[in-house]
Amino acid sequence: MASIATGADVGAVAGSRKRRLFERNSLPALLLFLPPALILFSLFVVLPMVDAATFSFFDWNGYGPITDFVGFENYADVLTHRNFGTAVRNSLIVVVVSLVVQLPLAMWCAIALSERGVHINVLRTLFFLPFMLAEVAAGLIWNFVYDGNYGLLPAIGDAIGVDMPFVLGDKFWVIPAIMLVITWKYFGFHMMIFIAGLQSIPSEVIEAARLDGVKRWQIVRHIKIPMIRSAIVISVFFAITGALQLFDLIIPLSNGGPSHSSHTIVTFLYQFGILRMKLGFGGAISVILFIACVIVALAYRRILFKVEQN
Amino acid sequence: MKRLALVAMLGLAAAMPVQAQTVVKHLHITSIPAEVELMNSIAAEFMAANPDIKIELPFLENEAFKAKLTTLLQSADAPDVFHSWGGGVFYEQAAAGVLRPVEDVLSDEAKANIGTAGVSAFTAPDGHMYGVARDVSEVVLWYNKALFEQAGVDPASMSDWDGFLAGVQKFKDAGITPIAIGAKDKWPAHFWWSKLVIRLAGKDGFDAAARGEGDGFAGEDFVKAGDYFLQLSALDPWQEGFLAASYGDASGLFGDGKAAMHLMGDWDYGAMKDNSANKAGIPDDQLGILPFPTIEGGKGDPTDTLGGLGGVLFSKNASDAAVKWIEFFNSPEQQAKYAKEAYYIPIAKGAADVMTNPFKVQIGKDISGAHWHALFFDQALGPNVGGVVNDISAELAGNSMSAEEAAEMIKEAVDDSL
Repeated sequence: MASIATGADVGAVAGSRKRRLFERNSLPALLLFLPPALILFSLFVVLPMVDAATFSFFDWNGYGPITDFVGFENYADVLTHRNFGTAVRNSLIVVVVSLVVQLPLAMWCAIALSERGVHINVLRTLFFLPFMLAEVAAGLIWNFVYDGNYGLLPAIGDAIGVDMPFVLGDKFWVIPAIMLVITWKYFGFHMMIFIAGLQSIPSEVIEAARLDGVKRWQIVRHIKIPMIRSAIVISVFFAITGALQLFDLIIPLSNGGPSHSSHTIVTFLYQFGILRMKLGFGGAISVILFIACVIVALAYRRILFKVEQN
Repeated sequence: MKRLALVAMLGLAAAMPVQAQTVVKHLHITSIPAEVELMNSIAAEFMAANPDIKIELPFLENEAFKAKLTTLLQSADAPDVFHSWGGGVFYEQAAAGVLRPVEDVLSDEAKANIGTAGVSAFTAPDGHMYGVARDVSEVVLWYNKALFEQAGVDPASMSDWDGFLAGVQKFKDAGITPIAIGAKDKWPAHFWWSKLVIRLAGKDGFDAAARGEGDGFAGEDFVKAGDYFLQLSALDPWQEGFLAASYGDASGLFGDGKAAMHLMGDWDYGAMKDNSANKAGIPDDQLGILPFPTIEGGKGDPTDTLGGLGGVLFSKNASDAAVKWIEFFNSPEQQAKYAKEAYYIPIAKGAADVMTNPFKVQIGKDISGAHWHALFFDQALGPNVGGVVNDISAELAGNSMSAEEAAEMIKEAVDDSL
């Protein structure tokens, strides 16, 4: 992810770096240190990717040899599947909510909590806690919160005299309910990135601005946010790719239901590709998702590059 | 402290046998603690008699088991013996060569013990026998007598579909949840569709549709099954939030006496207690079994039952020791212990004779007297078609799909996998 942010510089220095490598005769070091990473990466990242792409052209139930070549049929099946559109829509909603709700919230908290102090540390830890919880555990906790019979939500509803719906069993409420959990779970992470950025701003800059009579809000708007641009760039990238890959919170919360209305692309893949033992179909979904992620990454880099030039 | 640890380690070393043991891993899905305890004690008894064999009993929860099995069977960590519901999933495993044929290893006694039905249930289309039947189960309409009295519904009045719907309406009027359903898991909903199909299409109709003949599952009887299902759903008979309820939730709700009926397997007799808030569930004298309502003009035989013929399968690398263990485990003597505690209805000859639980006795009679004991449709039809059957059943329960569309979706899935 960091390589994306600094990607623009890589090309510029690549030439000189290559020369340096050979000048210093670092080939032995290269041979010594590169293979472990390269082997692991190929074995656990590249190979499975190639594998999945291969299945996607076959009809395969997961057992035995892969022989039944079907061309692009799996892709056609995915694109015309009655629930695929919903899954894509939900994944996009997660992206939008992450960018429009989660990141501003994280920024707001970061600015409020970037100073030092005991109570601030306590709050910071508190906000970061959800991120440290395992996704499945968090999902189960919220499952209990939302439970219409014994959960916290209906208890609150009773206290204020409102009849709460069974949110996870309701086609309309299930998405907002999941979005709330996602925001709760991940805003602390982005807040920490922003805090790290804010703390690296030299205090003289802020002080000078303050002496010049710049107002608090203007300091945030014109000094703090522009100066942590690189942290924001990384956060946005994490938020988008994380949203596209969202899986483990959904499974314990709604399992994609009711009526497959809360699937993300990845839970859709799991439900219809893995559980139904149509691995070719699943492979096709994963290739489509992979292409989408690559497009997002490239587009993001290009947009950043343009902004930089302006 | 250190010395204590040392002594403990020495003790362990002394207890470890010198010769190498054959390890038999038996993957099961039993979750009721007392039943697990019984299984452990049978394994201990077996190991005491066979010191060269070590039985391990790893557990996976139902849904996790189904999800993990495909990968597990093809890994080095595959269990030797594992639970199976038979049917389409078993046939795919057999065709893929991940199972071990055992007809030559299994003793004649063990084969006779499970009878012809038990042998044929675990014989794949290739003619090989890959497993051993353990139990039979039936999906029945459990009902709570106290709630029936409270709402003034006569169970006898619910013997046909119109009477059944009228009864459901009476419960609604009395403010009692008529039926508990765990629609989040979907398979509990598919029991309703299955029972309707059994009534309407019967064995011949179902078999023909599964082979893709004629209109297949888009045929008239299957659309009708959907229509009847929707008639029921239109009355809003389920508990509040049923689409978010798992099987366990629904079972607990029924066990707590908060719903009048629950269409569920006979295992719910124990599970309903275990899932209830006070762990006691509905007392036996308040619990009853309703015959599933008949439908006029239906092609099914009134004696037809829906359920399972469960057992265990042997994976490719299973040793003879694994077969030996299952012969022991599945012997009438051991299985009688399960029958006595009413955990399930053993298939082992004579084991069920010791059953005293009236519900299990009745269910045992139902099954042996059935014209057709239909295997759970989602297992019989394989994971893909079965998955679609579960999907449309949850939709029909939620009244969010037309009967025609539901039928068409199953037909498409069948055509796709033929």
